[in-house]
Amino acid sequence: MKDLAVIETILRNRHHFFIEIRDGVELKEKMRAMLISSILFLALYGGVLGATHSLWQTLSSAVKLPILFLLTLVICTPTLYFFNVLFGSNQSLTQNFALILTAITVTAVLLLSFAPIVVFFLLTTANYQFFKLLNVAIFAICGATGVTFLSQGMRLVSAAGKEGASARRWVLRLWILIYAFVGSQMAWTLRPFIGAPSMKFELFRQLGGNFYTNIFASIGEILGFFVVR
Amino acid sequence: MVAQSPVDKPSTAEQILDLLLDALAERQQARRAQARVSPPPAAPPLRPASPPVEQIRPAAPPGPVPRPPVPPPRREPEPGDEDWQPPPRLPSINLGKTLGRLLILVAGLVALINIPVNRYGVSLARILPDSASLIIRDGLVLKGSGPEIYVLEDNKLRWISSLEAFEYFGYTWDQVHIVDDKFLEGFEKGRPIYVLLKCPASPHIYRLENQQKRWIKDIDTFLAEGHVWEDVKFVTCDYLRSLPDGPPIPEDAGPPPQP
Repeated sequence: MKDLAVIETILRNRHHFFIEIRDGVELKEKMRAMLISSILFLALYGGVLGATHSLWQTLSSAVKLPILFLLTLVICTPTLYFFNVLFGSNQSLTQNFALILTAITVTAVLLLSFAPIVVFFLLTTANYQFFKLLNVAIFAICGATGVTFLSQGMRLVSAAGKEGASARRWVLRLWILIYAFVGSQMAWTLRPFIGAPSMKFELFRQLGGNFYTNIFASIGEILGFFVVR
Repeated sequence: MVAQSPVDKPSTAEQILDLLLDALAERQQARRAQARVSPPPAAPPLRPASPPVEQIRPAAPPGPVPRPPVPPPRREPEPGDEDWQPPPRLPSINLGKTLGRLLILVAGLVALINIPVNRYGVSLARILPDSASLIIRDGLVLKGSGPEIYVLEDNKLRWISSLEAFEYFGYTWDQVHIVDDKFLEGFEKGRPIYVLLKCPASPHIYRLENQQKRWIKDIDTFLAEGHVWEDVKFVTCDYLRSLPDGPPIPEDAGPPPQP
């Protein structure tokens, strides 16, 4: 419960939270609390996603969803850090990590807040494509809010180094794009999270296709243009 | 103003009227001058009552009215600016506790929707029929309102001819999706699926049905029944011999030979 208190600080006193990250105040404790909170929230949301298929899928998605976010974090953090350093930032790698973890924590807590809605649709509709698109939309909203937090935090934390501030803002914008691409490809690699009802449980599906064509196909099927094969 | 001799001194009323006329002329001049400088506003503002007679001054010379310079808008300091100050820290609303409760609620919901609720062991989360959410693919096992079970292959429905064939090809009941007959009508019918058995030491081919082996008399019959060579499975002769004989195909083919 003590670790969950960090969420209140992030949501209600974010400026003070970012200033503390800038000043390196209790950075390890903050990161630990954010890590525990996000893993818990994401695991629960993953469990909700997988419940539509089977118990095994529930457990598998509960494990895979936190892995998806944390792996994306690990993969993308060095790029942001080194490009920021290149353009005059004086932040440490840990500060960068903490900032991105803040974005993930915000995303995770928002996802958890959507969980009752997802359960409602899970119980009242059997359309797999609709359920999938609903979740893509929820992830997009929560992810966008998360990176908005990251953007605010980055501006505040890197305020000390005025040199190259404009370039760093561009770096952050481009990095957010890369982060979204890496995240979606990671999600595609670790799929299934929901599990198509006509297919057996699999921990990982064979590779092939990509996230975007699959989403377009789902939209096409929902609109009645064609059937996903 | 009309010039007046000191002899016929105007009355007080006339004096007031003259002053009013002067004030009106002065105001008109001022308006004209303002109209030349800037376009008139859409709705004229309410003017205060006329000043007392003692305050009326002589008309000002016509000309543009100077406007005070507009100060540039002051930008609010943003996070990151030197003069920016963070807003005061908000008091706690025990969000951590609320989040803890939400966590427990969602965990309870996840557990609840995974508990089997009917005698087939289906949970709430999976109780809705999923015909609308099928991914059409090869190997999809479908059943309509009748007893026939089909497998989808190359966009064609292949009827699984017997329980033996169903089990022989490794299908399980939880793979069977019950769909509307209309959904099935949307597909062409393909070759039925039979279990055709042969052992290496014998030239005869048998069809497995109702746990019996049915001898297929000759190639013409084999082809007439819609079978293809690719469907023939090789098993040991001992296994084939252990299966009881059923009626041959066609039924008047005579006693079936042993493999």
